[in-house]
Amino acid sequence: MRNILLLAFALPLMAQEPAATPTPAPAATQETAPAAAAATPTPAPEPAAPAATPADNWLTGTLDAGWRFTTGVAGDFNTYRSVVNLSSGPKLFGANFTIQPAKNRFVDRIDFSANSWGGDPYNTARVDARREGLYELHFDYRNIAYFNFLPSFADPGTVNRALPFLDQYGFDIARRTTDFRLDLFPGHRIVPYLAFSRNGGRGDGTIDYTVQSNEYTVPTDYSDYTNEYRAGVRFEFNHWHLTLEQGGYTSQNNQALRSGSPVPNPGNVLTPILGQQLFLTSGTEFYAVRGDGLFSRALFTANPVSWADISAQFLYSQPHMTANFAQANLGNFIDLAIPAFFGSESSVIDALAKQPHPAGSASVELKPWHGRLRILESWMTDQLHDSGSALLTDQLLLSKQGATGGTPLTLTALDMERFVATYNQQETELMFDVTPMLTLRGGYRYVWGDALAPASITVEGSTGAATETGQLRRSVGIGGVSFRSKTRFRATVDFEASPGDRSYFRTSLNDYQRARIMTRYTPVAGLEFTARFSVLNNQNPDPAIQYSLLARDNTLAVSWSPEKWKGLGLSGDYTRSTIHSNISYLVPNTFKGAISDYRENAHTATLLADMPSPHWAIAPKVSLGGSLFQSAGSRPARYYQPLARVAFPVGEHAQFYGEWRWYALSQPFYMYEGFRTHQFVTGIRWTM
Amino acid sequence: MACESCHGPGGKHAETTSADDILNPSKLAASRTDQICLKCHLNQPTQVGRIQGSHLKNQVSCTACHAVHKGAQALRPTRASAINEKCAHCHKSVWAKFQKPYKHRLPEGAMSCVDCHNPHGSVLPFQIRTVAADEPSCFRCHSDKRGPFVFEHPPMKTDGCGACHEPHGSANPRMLIRHEVRLVCLECHANIGVRNNIGGVPPAFHDLRSAQFQNCNVCHTKIHGSYVDAALER
Repeated sequence: MRNILLLAFALPLMAQEPAATPTPAPAATQETAPAAAAATPTPAPEPAAPAATPADNWLTGTLDAGWRFTTGVAGDFNTYRSVVNLSSGPKLFGANFTIQPAKNRFVDRIDFSANSWGGDPYNTARVDARREGLYELHFDYRNIAYFNFLPSFADPGTVNRALPFLDQYGFDIARRTTDFRLDLFPGHRIVPYLAFSRNGGRGDGTIDYTVQSNEYTVPTDYSDYTNEYRAGVRFEFNHWHLTLEQGGYTSQNNQALRSGSPVPNPGNVLTPILGQQLFLTSGTEFYAVRGDGLFSRALFTANPVSWADISAQFLYSQPHMTANFAQANLGNFIDLAIPAFFGSESSVIDALAKQPHPAGSASVELKPWHGRLRILESWMTDQLHDSGSALLTDQLLLSKQGATGGTPLTLTALDMERFVATYNQQETELMFDVTPMLTLRGGYRYVWGDALAPASITVEGSTGAATETGQLRRSVGIGGVSFRSKTRFRATVDFEASPGDRSYFRTSLNDYQRARIMTRYTPVAGLEFTARFSVLNNQNPDPAIQYSLLARDNTLAVSWSPEKWKGLGLSGDYTRSTIHSNISYLVPNTFKGAISDYRENAHTATLLADMPSPHWAIAPKVSLGGSLFQSAGSRPARYYQPLARVAFPVGEHAQFYGEWRWYALSQPFYMYEGFRTHQFVTGIRWTM
Repeated sequence: MACESCHGPGGKHAETTSADDILNPSKLAASRTDQICLKCHLNQPTQVGRIQGSHLKNQVSCTACHAVHKGAQALRPTRASAINEKCAHCHKSVWAKFQKPYKHRLPEGAMSCVDCHNPHGSVLPFQIRTVAADEPSCFRCHSDKRGPFVFEHPPMKTDGCGACHEPHGSANPRMLIRHEVRLVCLECHANIGVRNNIGGVPPAFHDLRSAQFQNCNVCHTKIHGSYVDAALER
């Protein structure tokens, strides 16, 4: 398929005669040039040069294709795939084409682009076609490799010899997204449209097969998709715009776990319980989830007078879903609640859930005083209701000590749960241009909400309530200054602070201050310095929580591309970041208090230097640089990615390039999770 | 559409050819520039969240990102690497986070900032792009986490993915905010200080001295939500 695609791209290139093709003018220039000439009331205009017609350059674009070589991965290959996942082989790095037929009743222009084809973890293809005033068609396709197997997430107690030292929750999934949209009569007052999108994933992985308190790592298959259909109409008038949309979706989410190893799988409970060893001989689990829902959306924007903008959005969706679960396993297991051993189990669960979800927002921007003062008022609400019920039927075949037969036992249970979460926000901001160079900003934001969630295990010492509740109340003050000189200097300062006292979770933003300063200085043309500083300080002083978080980021950056030395360029930045988090918690098995302390002190630097070309017959462009990350603290890590790149022109329309990169990860506390690899890329970039 | 749509009346400029006699939107205050662009572009769905967007508030005008006269890619870049370069020009400390080992693959050009964020504005915090029924754009790729689940993990809906993950990049596997899974969990599931907080559920029989209990999602594999198990184990 990939070779066919490459050939398909190459064929139009071979059909081209580059020497005879004039340099294409940008499409925007072609469109605006005649209009500009018409708008210019010169008394005796020079005869304009004939604009390039579509017939002269019906096909324009670029093609970037080549080969990537990987020297092999030293260290842990699964971590390499989880972090980088770039493979060897022929690659289509990028292709962009525009086709503008000279005369065609059905199409004025087709844009096509494709990126990262040939086994890379993220492939995209996009086609846009249009006929002015008649239709616009958009098609987008993405294929994402979604891989994650990390040894440090494995339980060392697991002795499944078939999967030694693999992550117990790993996955290797290909996820494909397809989007299609058709707009009819674009540019008219009323624009109907249709859209369809599909998102589907398929793959395999490892997961724990849980039987009572023992976990057995087993292979699993994943498969899911969501189809979404939308249709709507846009009303586009001079001072107001309205979009009404009705949509729906259907989805499936399936998973199958299978275990049929020739030797019994002991799971991670290795010591005999009451004299018996637990094990899994064979087992299967199936999930089948079906969902569908309808949603209605309205968008409104208006500009009733020159000094006011209004916008609003409302969305109501009502998904519902059914789930079926079946499990059957053979082996030797224990149910500590009875307590009794059992040799086989068969479970069936049927569940359904409804999740009505209204959400809305409205905003007003007023610009009195010739726009020097801006008043922004916005409001939003999001209210989620989720209610579900599940019926369990569990059949066990209890073992009889010393007997061959067993006693069947059937358990049934009905579980009903409810989850409600609301989030509301109201914000008022004022911005005032004191001078054309100085803007002051101030405002107030109020965030509030309530949540109700099931408590699967009731809180120790409580009355046994089956639910927990949370409240969110946050008043935030907002301030800022923006200063910009006419050419050389620009600075922005943002600050917000809240003495909040109620948040949904112990680590949520509570009593916090956040500040950010960004400055940019351009002393001479081609040289720019940037400095950025940000800090977040969040506290929850409740004696039982004592949460404190302090995160800082300081960045210095320089960009230099002198006009005198063509081809010389330097771009680099250095960031020093620190995170210090501290919170008290209760060690579950001892009920003693402890402190969770997390620290990260990190240095990050990136650099890319473009070297000037020597005056050779073929003038290469050489770039050197890369990035490094080095951290100390709770999980020290070093990650280096140096690179060197060379490119030189081949003829008038092509450029040959080669690149070397080195990826190296090491973690002192998790030595077995490091990797190193060299990668070489070579290719040709062809411009038509 | 003609030059005067953006640059205003050009008669005097045509006579003198002086740059002072024509309106240059890229050199105006951001609010004025936006006004000019939004004369035509106010009808996009993305503009609904514009007023709440931080670009508007921080004086970042349309022309800071969209170069009008430099070709289609400069006007509206489609390549991920080109988009990322534009965003990283200002958001350098955010870009630095992508140099950490566990991150989304933006430096590789596999994704772009606008896959997750809507630079024009959003009704969600941090200008998170919305997809489908106003859900955060995380679910565009991670649709298996979308649900609706019978048994929700509440932070998924209330605090979002950022409650446990650093989406820009982390030194911790799976982009977690802490170096050990159990600490991510125990910071909420702590059984103390639960007066107004959700999540105070103590798994009292868990012996954290055993490696088995140090990675909570070894057992609670469906940590984002489950269709069948309230304890999120299956």
